[in-house]
Amino acid sequence: MAERLFYGALFILTLGYLYFAFVTIKAPIQYDPLGPETWPRLLGLLMAVALAIRLVRPSGVAPDVARKTIIRLAVVAGFLLLYAILFQRLGFILSTWGFCSAVTWLLGTRPVKAVIFGAVVSTVTFFVFTDLLDLNLPGGLLEFLD
Amino acid sequence: METVLSGLAGGFGVALHPFNLFLVLVGCFGGTLIGALPGIGPTNGVAILLPIAYGLGLPVESALILLAGIYYGAEYGGRISSILLNVPGDSGAVMTTLDGHPMAVNGEAGRALSLSAVASFIGGTFAVVLMSVFGPLLASYAISFSPADYVALMVFAFASLASLVGKDPLKTLIAALIGLMLATVGIDASTGIKRYDFGIPDILAGIDFLVVIIGLFGIGELLHLVEQQVTGRMSLLKLDKSFVSKADLLLTKWTIARGSVIGFFVGILPGTGASVASAVAYGTEKRLARDSEKFGTGDPRGLAAPESANNAAAGGAMVPMLTLGIPGSGTTAMLLGALLLFNVQPGPLMFQQRPEIAWGLIASMYIGNVALLVINLPLVGLFARMLTIPPRYLTPLIGVLAFVGVYAVIGNTFDLKLAIGLGIFGWILRKLDFQLAPVILGFVLGSLFENNLRRALSMSGGDWSILLESFDSQALYVLTALTIVIPVIVGRRRLRMAAQKQ
Repeated sequence: MAERLFYGALFILTLGYLYFAFVTIKAPIQYDPLGPETWPRLLGLLMAVALAIRLVRPSGVAPDVARKTIIRLAVVAGFLLLYAILFQRLGFILSTWGFCSAVTWLLGTRPVKAVIFGAVVSTVTFFVFTDLLDLNLPGGLLEFLD
Repeated sequence: METVLSGLAGGFGVALHPFNLFLVLVGCFGGTLIGALPGIGPTNGVAILLPIAYGLGLPVESALILLAGIYYGAEYGGRISSILLNVPGDSGAVMTTLDGHPMAVNGEAGRALSLSAVASFIGGTFAVVLMSVFGPLLASYAISFSPADYVALMVFAFASLASLVGKDPLKTLIAALIGLMLATVGIDASTGIKRYDFGIPDILAGIDFLVVIIGLFGIGELLHLVEQQVTGRMSLLKLDKSFVSKADLLLTKWTIARGSVIGFFVGILPGTGASVASAVAYGTEKRLARDSEKFGTGDPRGLAAPESANNAAAGGAMVPMLTLGIPGSGTTAMLLGALLLFNVQPGPLMFQQRPEIAWGLIASMYIGNVALLVINLPLVGLFARMLTIPPRYLTPLIGVLAFVGVYAVIGNTFDLKLAIGLGIFGWILRKLDFQLAPVILGFVLGSLFENNLRRALSMSGGDWSILLESFDSQALYVLTALTIVIPVIVGRRRLRMAAQKQ
């Protein structure tokens, strides 16, 4: 079921991909015989055929993922998204502190330990990356540390 | 032969430069460390560290030396978690668990680790020696390749990928097409036409290669680790004082030799990396052994075969990447992508135009292999201690490294979100038994494939028959047909034999 659903979703995306390849992508002057549209057309058609075959005859994988696991993964994905949004606004140290603490806590560490772990990781990695390796990381609210 | 020796001399001039020597050691050490972490294999290790290495602003050859060190260092370190934890870091280390873990269970963990270190060293070194001889040969042959020949070469690469990787060729094809389609996003280089950008300025120049690998392999791995921790626990075996003996080496010397040869040549084939090589080597040894029932219970031969083969394959996979610009595995596809980031197009001309990169890398691998043996035998206890790090601390660190890499190089948060999306997608693909290597191979080769096809048809004025004109292309299409047909015939014969037995 999950497999067919996946192929179905990809199939719809491929139809959209093909629509653009056949309708909108066009060069005003022909530079080369194929132009920018032929390659996407070939790929899209091949993909549509491959997906159609597997839609009719799926390979029969049925991943069994427990509801609990899915929820846990969704929460982690949410943490990641929040981390991405706050990365620049709060700066590396604060956002990383929050992210590391949240994930270790979610995976079964006691809250106090998780907060300490996040604090150590975020400050140590910040100075290793910016001072030692000279990489560019956002200072955010703690900009004055630079 | 003279070009090989003078090339090597020049290469050692680059690799022995103190700074590059330092990078070889850092790469090997860091690679072993990453490879030893439970569940993180060479592919994920290189993916997570690649953007950071790129962001350091090193010269091309130094960056590549560092990345290659991480790559085969991780290939080396992967055996530690296979043997002590029974958890292979990636598919290339699966065969190592078959006899390596039972040896550790029997109280011979030290013997298993030291024997596999020696086998890895011999396999790796053998591959580098062959690489220095075959590399320039292949390069000088491929120098006359026309765009049409390149199209044939890539058709061959994807065909052998589909028939050799995974159980379902059609799924491998779908995975490769996903990569190829992702590569069409952004401005078309030869006409300046926008494709699939949907008005988002961040992807106007195409989806960044770093975002794709960080997403699929970094974030995807993080989600996989979370899932594993929810579902089960792993048990770690203690390291003991046993060590490899002379008798072990005498017993396994031909096993290691065969494993090295098999590994190198399987590794050269496009798309097949360490996983196929180690499986073939293990199978061969088991068939050759008169007492094959011992395999799987902790037989040293069953450990030496896959370990020599997967390290030889790591070297073999570098050959088509350096000489043809066609990577032989998911990880070498990443190294190729790294070269493209530096605006270096790998291919037959690289040995002449950028000898410091090609030869410097090869020379650094000689040094790296020795360094790995030297740091692995005495320090194995330190690396084994990496396994005791609880995964719940490790998991967020992967996310941090992934974000630092993307942000330090690209510098905006849109790409962070894109990486998360790709990570979720990669996790779904893995759940449905798709391989990720074809996706990355398709993504890296996408524009090269399209450009060569368009160049070939420009030369012929739109006549598709140009694709079949040269001898080289015809030979490659014959090879393509064989790689597709032979597995089908072999599979049918096996089915028939199984039916007769019953």
